[in-house]
Amino acid sequence: MTAVLTEPPLTNGRTASRRRARLRRAVPGYLMLLPFAGLFLGFLIWPLLNALYFAFTDFNGVRPPSWVGTENFRRLWLDDPRFRKALVNSLIYVALAVTLTTAAALTLALAFRGTSWRDRVMRTIFFLPSVTSTIAVMLIWRWIFSGERFGLANTVLSWFGAEPVSWLSTPRWTIPLLVLMAVWGGCGYGMVIFVSGLNAIPEELYEAARLDGAGGWQQFRYVTLPQLRPVTTYVVITGLIGAFQVFEAVYIVFRAVSSVGGVQDGGLMLVPYLYDMGFTKFQLGYASAIAWTLFLIIFVISMIQLRVTRALREL
Amino acid sequence: MTRLRGELLRLPLYLAGLTMLVPFYWMASAAFKPVPELTRNPPSFVPGDPTLDAFYEPAWDPGVRADQLVAGLFQRYQDVPGGFLRFMGNSLFVAAAITVLSLLIAALAAYALTKMDLPGRRVIFVVVVASMMIPWQVTLVPNYLIVRNLEWLNTYQGYIVPALAKAFVVFFLVQYMRSIPDDLVHAARVDGAGEFRIWWRVVMPLMRPALAAMAIFVVLAEWNNFLWPLIIVQDDTMANVPVALSRLNASNAFNPHNMAVIMAASLLTSLPTVIFFLAFQKHFTRGIALSGIKG
Repeated sequence: MTAVLTEPPLTNGRTASRRRARLRRAVPGYLMLLPFAGLFLGFLIWPLLNALYFAFTDFNGVRPPSWVGTENFRRLWLDDPRFRKALVNSLIYVALAVTLTTAAALTLALAFRGTSWRDRVMRTIFFLPSVTSTIAVMLIWRWIFSGERFGLANTVLSWFGAEPVSWLSTPRWTIPLLVLMAVWGGCGYGMVIFVSGLNAIPEELYEAARLDGAGGWQQFRYVTLPQLRPVTTYVVITGLIGAFQVFEAVYIVFRAVSSVGGVQDGGLMLVPYLYDMGFTKFQLGYASAIAWTLFLIIFVISMIQLRVTRALREL
Repeated sequence: MTRLRGELLRLPLYLAGLTMLVPFYWMASAAFKPVPELTRNPPSFVPGDPTLDAFYEPAWDPGVRADQLVAGLFQRYQDVPGGFLRFMGNSLFVAAAITVLSLLIAALAAYALTKMDLPGRRVIFVVVVASMMIPWQVTLVPNYLIVRNLEWLNTYQGYIVPALAKAFVVFFLVQYMRSIPDDLVHAARVDGAGEFRIWWRVVMPLMRPALAAMAIFVVLAEWNNFLWPLIIVQDDTMANVPVALSRLNASNAFNPHNMAVIMAASLLTSLPTVIFFLAFQKHFTRGIALSGIKG
């Protein structure tokens, strides 16, 4: 028995030493992976788990966290009108912003997909907001929608004889303005992705469709849209994820003296609320519960995306 | 005939393109308007009497305290050496450092994951890709505490180190590196080159288009980064441009003179990125297109 154990069969010994050799050869590889892996674990995975732990504690950043179980989540989901406001605002904003941005992006891509100088100039123009400093852009919007008569929006209104509107302090207008800014800022990015998607559709498909007597609309409906489906899914999903994370627009344009979320929290959304709880009120445990709620929402969206793309591939 | 019809159909979109530019035009013209012209009703669309006062106001007397409000952009921040240029320098340095370091780190990782036979590399790659759906704001509170414990608040390390592990860049570079033939790597190994040398001398030069696309992405994102600096910057000297802008904004909402200065600062912030984008447009749009199509 012992003899068998100390002297394993030859073949096994060979695989064992081969495995050792493979591991030895892999050492430089792991070393090359190390800087990334270290930072990845230290500043992403570890903080993610830490946030989960804090979410179950009462923690102000000074005294050590004290365990409160699910109290934060209970309060957040069942008993916090501001969070409900933030969530509802987020959902309305995300739905409108993503739908309109995607539609605008597709329209622009169909119109300006070519290589002529006019198309290229137009693509550049629509893309400009994506490269401009977000804060600068938001400050411009704040100026344009200022309530005074010299605000550009109010000037345009006055051409039609309308009274000036105090845009930024009327809660009713907050979400529509945020959506407008989102479409203005995001349609160029989606357009670029759609243009490359459109140009990847084989021309033969259109020729075949024309031979079958398909008109312009039918070609769009039965060739372009189905062929674009993976690209559209990508644009919609990344749009959803980005829209749930909106912060600057709310913080810069609508922050009122008393609240990060604007007058009557009209523009309060998930990340501004997270910031407010964490870094102006220093309720770090509660902020972590908001953070994990955001994570779960985005996780669910990503899972749906996986399901949808897999299902589409099987079709 | 059909071309004419196409152009006519696109006419509204051309007009939409023009209106897209209105905010930019409004910013640029406001930066050069004298203050009374800013609040004129109806507003002037062309600066009637262009001035550089919003940038630098010759008549300003630093001895009078109340005059803080009527100093041009480059005369503000008396306690910050260099003033606004210091903020631009901070932004530039941080963006450059994060771009170079994060790309090197990601490219090393991508090489190990695609060109070396590492046990467990599939699992590692899946974890990295899966991590892309973690909204980084979730790590905001813990990372703030980590940086505070390291006493990195208000330092360049505090800006740079937490931003270096970019899963998306690894993912993108892995996708691109897969298209580089393994035979090249094998041949170099047969010639006796070490892995590090192969990475730097054989693979990296071939990765140039992908690296350029990612570099432009990261530079722009970091130049414009706001929420993280907002949290870790405590004194004005360490502010980057977005934080400085937001502080200008917070100090004096809708004081017309202040708005002129803010528009001047916004112009100075946006101009480099726009020029940068126009210069590298091709790489940039290719990068976006590749990431979108692979998704």
